[in-house]
Order: sequence, then C-alpha cells, then structure tokens
Amino acid sequence: MNTRKLLRHENSPILLVLLTTIVAVIIVELLFVRGSDITMVAFIKPMNISNVLMQISVTGMMAISMTLVMISGGIDLSVGQMMCFLGTAMAYMMRNVGLSSWQVVAFALVLAVVSQVLMGLIISRTKLEPFIVSLGFMSMYKGFTYLITNGREITIEGKFGFLGKTYLNLTEKFRFGMPVILLLLLLVIMWLILKYTKFGRSVYAVGGNENAAFLAGINVKNFKLLLYGVNGIFVAIATMASLSRLGTGNPLIGEGKEIEVIAAVVVGGTALSGGKGNIWGTFIGVLLLGCLSNALNILGVQPHWQYVLRGALIILAVLMGYYSSRRNASAKSRILKTRTSGA
Amino acid sequence: MAEASSMSNEPILSMKGISKSYPGVRLFEDFDFDLRKGEIHCICGENGAGKSTLIKMFSGAHAQDKGSIFFEGKKIAGLNPHSAMKMGIQTIYQEHNLFPLLNVVENLYAGNEATIGLIINKPRMADRAREILEYLHSDISPLDTVGELGSGAQKTVEIARALLQDSKIIILDEPTASFNQVETAHLFEILKKLVKNGQSIIYISHHLEEVFSLANRVTVIRDGFKVNTYEIANLTEQTLIHDMVGRDVSLFYQRPRLPIGETTFEARNLCGNGVTDVSLTVHRGEILGISGMVGSGRTELAEMLFGVVKADSGEIFVNGIQSGMRNPLSAIRQRICFITEDRQATGLFLKHSLTKNIPIVSYRRTRTPFALPSEDIRMSENYVKALNIMTPSVFQLAMLLSGGNQQKVVLAKWFATQAEIFIFDEPTRGIDIGAKEEIYKIMISLLEENKSIIMISSDMPELIAMSDRIVVMRDGRKVAELGKDEISEETILKHAIGSSLK
Repeated sequence: MNTRKLLRHENSPILLVLLTTIVAVIIVELLFVRGSDITMVAFIKPMNISNVLMQISVTGMMAISMTLVMISGGIDLSVGQMMCFLGTAMAYMMRNVGLSSWQVVAFALVLAVVSQVLMGLIISRTKLEPFIVSLGFMSMYKGFTYLITNGREITIEGKFGFLGKTYLNLTEKFRFGMPVILLLLLLVIMWLILKYTKFGRSVYAVGGNENAAFLAGINVKNFKLLLYGVNGIFVAIATMASLSRLGTGNPLIGEGKEIEVIAAVVVGGTALSGGKGNIWGTFIGVLLLGCLSNALNILGVQPHWQYVLRGALIILAVLMGYYSSRRNASAKSRILKTRTSGA
Repeated sequence: MAEASSMSNEPILSMKGISKSYPGVRLFEDFDFDLRKGEIHCICGENGAGKSTLIKMFSGAHAQDKGSIFFEGKKIAGLNPHSAMKMGIQTIYQEHNLFPLLNVVENLYAGNEATIGLIINKPRMADRAREILEYLHSDISPLDTVGELGSGAQKTVEIARALLQDSKIIILDEPTASFNQVETAHLFEILKKLVKNGQSIIYISHHLEEVFSLANRVTVIRDGFKVNTYEIANLTEQTLIHDMVGRDVSLFYQRPRLPIGETTFEARNLCGNGVTDVSLTVHRGEILGISGMVGSGRTELAEMLFGVVKADSGEIFVNGIQSGMRNPLSAIRQRICFITEDRQATGLFLKHSLTKNIPIVSYRRTRTPFALPSEDIRMSENYVKALNIMTPSVFQLAMLLSGGNQQKVVLAKWFATQAEIFIFDEPTRGIDIGAKEEIYKIMISLLEENKSIIMISSDMPELIAMSDRIVVMRDGRKVAELGKDEISEETILKHAIGSSLK
C-alpha cells in the first residue's frame, strides 16, 4: 500500500529520473574513467557535492518563485536579464555611489519589486500574454544593463562577501555555502506556505480556473500582482548571492538563467497551463539539471554534446511525467466507472 | 407521424448483435437497432447509458467488438469516419465542430472545396451555400463569420454542411443543448422537412418534449442495453421516463410547501450589465424563480446580485441592511452564493481533487492565514457523505466525476461557507433525471433550514414545480412577477416572448 502510494506520488517519476541519472553517471565513471575504485569517483566526492549544491543554489532560488508564478498560470521570461540588471545596478551603487552593503540590499529589493510590480500590473490588468509582456521586459533589462555597464564588469572589490563566501563546514571536505543554506530555508518556507496557508491554496486556484477563483472571492488581479512582486524578491535574493560569490557586477551574470529556471520548474512537474506543480518537484528538477551539467563536465563530454544530452534529458523527464499522470488518471477513472455502475 | 410520407418500413441502417466493451466496462451486449428510411428515430437514455458510444459506432469512430452493421441491406465491415461519410452517414456532435474564424461558405466546404483546376471556385461555392441555406429557410448570410453566429445558427451551418455531402442519414447528438425555444422550433422545422425529402435522422436527446414533438420511433437504452423501441403513438411520457430511469419518477417533482419567513434579500431598481430597473425580494424558506428566454438578462442580473459585475445604479439589501456588492468577496461575506450555469468553466477546479475544490470558498469566511490539509479532508469527507457524492475518495480529481456529482461538488463548495442566500443558475443543466431529483431534494432541505433561494432555469417543468414565485424577464427588464396561483407554462411563456408573438 505504502509503496504504491509512493509510486503514485506526483514527484515519483522525476525522482526516478534523478536517481537513475546519478546511478548511471557513477557507473559510467567507474567503467570508463576511474577503473573500479568507487572512492575515486569524482562525482560523489564530498567536495564535488558541495560544489554542485553551490552551483544550483542561484537557479534554485529563482525556480521557487517561478514555480509559484507558473502554478498560477503565468510565466516570467525576464528573470535572467533582470538578474543582470539588478546585479550590475547593485555593483554600480556600491562602487560609484558608495552605498553600504545593507543599503544596497534594500536598494535591490525595492528595485526588483518595483520592476516586477510594473510588469505584474500590465499582466494582471490586461489580457496580454505574460509570455510576451515578460519578453518585452527581458529586452528592456538587457538594455538597462548595458546602459549601466557599457558592457564592462563593475568590480565590487571584495565587498559584500558575506552571502557568497561564508561556509558552514560540516566536515573538512563537505560544506554548505551560505546560498545553499538560504536555498534550503526558502524551499522549506515556500513548501509550508503552499501547503498550509490560504495564500498557497489561492495560487493553485488561480492557476486551476481563474473564473472560478474570482467567483470564490479571490481578487485574482491583485493576487497575480502579488505573485510577481514575490518573484521580484526571490530574483533579488538570488542576484545578491550570485554577485557576492562572483565579486563583480558582470553584465552576463544572469544570462540564459530564465531558460534554466523554467526548464527546471517544468521538469519538476509544474504544468505550463497552471494549476499543478509543487516545490519539491521543482527542487528535484533543479538538482537533476545541475547534476547533469556537473557530471558531463567530470566525464569530459564535449560541450557541444552537453547541449544535446541536456535537451534529451529534459524531454525524457517531461515524457515520464506525462505518461505517469496519464496512467494514474485512467486507473482512477476505471475505479470510478466500476464503482458507479455498481451503485 | 402523418407528414413523414416517404417513410417506409425498410431499414436503411441496422445493427445486429452488437457488443462493445472498454477496459473494465461492458457497455453494449447483443444490441439490435434499426433505422427506417425517412424516419426520425430518437434515442433516449440517461447520461452514461451509452448514447455517445452508440453514435461513435454508427459514425465509424469506434469499432464494435462483435456483431454487424448493415447499410441499405449490405453488411459493412471496417467502418471508419471517412467511409461512413462517403456512404452518406453524417454525424453532428453535441459541441460545434466549426472553424469560428472562417465564414459560412468556407466552413461548409472546409476540406472539400469546389475547384477549377487548382483554383478554388468561390462564386460556385457561395451560390451552392446560398441555395442550401435558403432550402433550410435560414437567414444566415454565406459570408457571415461563423464565430459571430448564435448557437442555433451554428447548428444550422453544421446541418447545411452535412447536406452538402450527399447525406442519407444525419445523426444529431443533443443539438438543442444551448438553444432557446425559437431556435429549437426552427431546427425542428428543418428536420421535419429533411425527413420528408427522404433523409433519415437519428436524434439523441433527453428532453422529453423534443422527443414527443419530433420522433417517429423512440429507442430507449439503459446501461448499454436496449430497453425497448416504441412507435411514438404507443408511447407515453410515463413509460419513457420509467424505461430511462428504470423506476417510477413523478413527471413533475412534488415538493413540500414550507412556511415563508421574513425578507432576507432585496434588490431595488438595479441597472447595469444589460439589465434595466429590476427589483425583487426573496424571503426565508422561499424559492424565487427567474424565467425568460436565453439572452433576456437573467444571468446578467444574477451576476450583479453576486457582485461579479457592479451595478451602475440601484440598491441591494441583505437582511434589511444596504450592501454595496463590489465584488464576489463582499457577496460571500454577506453569505450569498452563486452556483453558476457552466460548472466546468466557472464552478470547478477540474484538475484539482475534491479536497481542493470543496473548502476553497470557505477560506474567505475566516481571517486566519492558515489552511490545514487535515481540516480540508475532514470537510470534504463530510460533504461527500452528506450530499451522497459518488467518488472513490476525496482525492479524486473533479474532472473524473459525472455531471451530477460535479454539480454536487459545486454545491458542497458553497454549503461550506454557511451561506444563507443561494443563487442557482440552471442548477440541473446536463445532469440526468436521477441526479436532478437529488439536487431538488438538496434545495428543499436548504429551505427547511430557513435559507432563501433564487433560481434561474430554462427547464420549465422544473421552474414551475420548484418556485414559490416567478419573475419573468425580457430584454433586460422584469416584465412580470407571478405568484403561486398564477404560475403556468402558458403565462410564463406569454410574458417571456412578449405580446408580439401569440
């Protein structure tokens, strides 16, 4: 009974893909690279695991709020370029205006929320597709980024290191960076919020059926606005972590992040049509894509092939989700049919 | 019927010993059916009796497991949608299968264009279209965009398309589901004319009036078994209903009359949203019926009462206190609820489980930010039991339930808010007779708890049987208010249609 329940869980297929991938990488590394000594497998060395977690933390944070936005039926393509914009603006403020770390944190949060609210206003007040509105904002952020930087990096000269360069050493070789701790914290918080609050229920309701949600007394317009605002906060936090780690306001700091984030959320089982998805699924999605990149590097796969393999894995993961949800639905409806025809 | 002069006893289409099952469900076993040339043959049955499956076997969309189908005396093997259409079996499904952005001509000829060489012969197509529309006595112009036509006119376009393709048999599945009376009457005229000219028609319906005014013969099916085939002259409504349901049901639901209490809800001179100057009052323990043709402003009125659309002017009083209905939230806070006409589009979260559907509105009634899954499950289980919702568990997705059970989930959602005033818009649309009666019982139990009901319905017997008073609307205005003794189908219709049609 319990194993069946586990198999039916909406995250099981993607978890299965993740575990299979990890096992496959270990086997391949053992057979073709390292000989047969399992302690030599680079992929599962504590230091490497620490690094993978560090690498996924920024994408992970952005994926949390993207999950919310996408469950509610929206999407935001602007997050990557927004990160570039926020990152370079923060660096500029620190270096050229001389704001302190805390001032710059406040500045980034306000800037992020204001930008997202502006976009949220357009999306929630009109029937324009969030896809195209956020695409427009994406381009504007890119422009602002280059206006600020002129295409050059702005170094912050070792300031603002707290977020990116503090570590919690669990053992000598296994350590959690601050961004990883922050990511885990945010994951737990958002999981609890989605599961145990009315706000969480409203996210699903708005994405499941906007009209019904409105008639159920949810102010759908303001709610969507709120979600984009929350998204702004998460992007700002992710940007701070990234900026702190790199120590420089690089105009490419968030380049391509939107695709990484959206891919992870979708692989994690969130429906593009809204109404379905969950935080841990997203986390597994982020882990899967992160592990794969790392493994392909370790195995020395040519970068061009990495793109091909990554794409194939994304499609495989989504296919698994599709078939398992279809199987569950038909199993359920069969139970129902025999039940009602008997009654 | 006498006017079907070309009718003969010779079957044009027949089925012998048909069996069909789906994984886990046996729908048809040893099923016989025949359609005579030039007759209208109605197929009746409750939802889930197998009507749709039957149509799909005729149209070649599904193959039977056993048995044979004969067309004009010849046995046909391996029927598929394409060969069925070629032979002249045209199926018009319940939902429209048209291209809303194309015009009538383009729709009529989609995939089948008249050409000269490679060039599409537009004038010829337009002429042919005009001829057919004229033949159908339709005032649709061939150049109208289909998406802008009403649902009656769209159905006419589908019939025209069937005729264009040399049809011998036309199968219609619940064509009048979204029609008003005038559109229905027009459709019937067309069908009778087609039959006179030698077409044969299979007509699926669960509206009894339609069956009796249209059919030559009626076949009743229940759970995939043929109960009986009747000549219409030998059939009474009682028998038909008895056969469909498999038990006796009174034709009009007999509801107990309860004492009526003080006024709970009052609207004065409401204007806006296509409605002009409507006033009404509802009392405790009372059902106020709202009647009118489709498009008379009934739903629009309800939307204002619930705050979906804010009224331009006028006042609303709840328990004697004036309330601005700014939005649904303010209505919910004043214990009003709105069971909408289209439960799938505006009532349910189809992709979500019952535990996510049922408690969703009740969250608005408390101020804490929290929602506990255990409480949601408890609440859902209570309502599943109380309303007798047929579901394997409260974790079932709403989309996997039958229409009647879906409607009960919508009711549960609102009952959970402890509402006092219920606005029902077409509460029993598209659900079968057994489930209808359950919904009526639930409504009566609400009255027993001293609640008030406003009920919009196009189902005349239902409205008359259930209402204590009836407000009739026409063109966005209230044209009559009928007390218990004045209510009759004729009076309501007279007011609803207006004096121009008598």
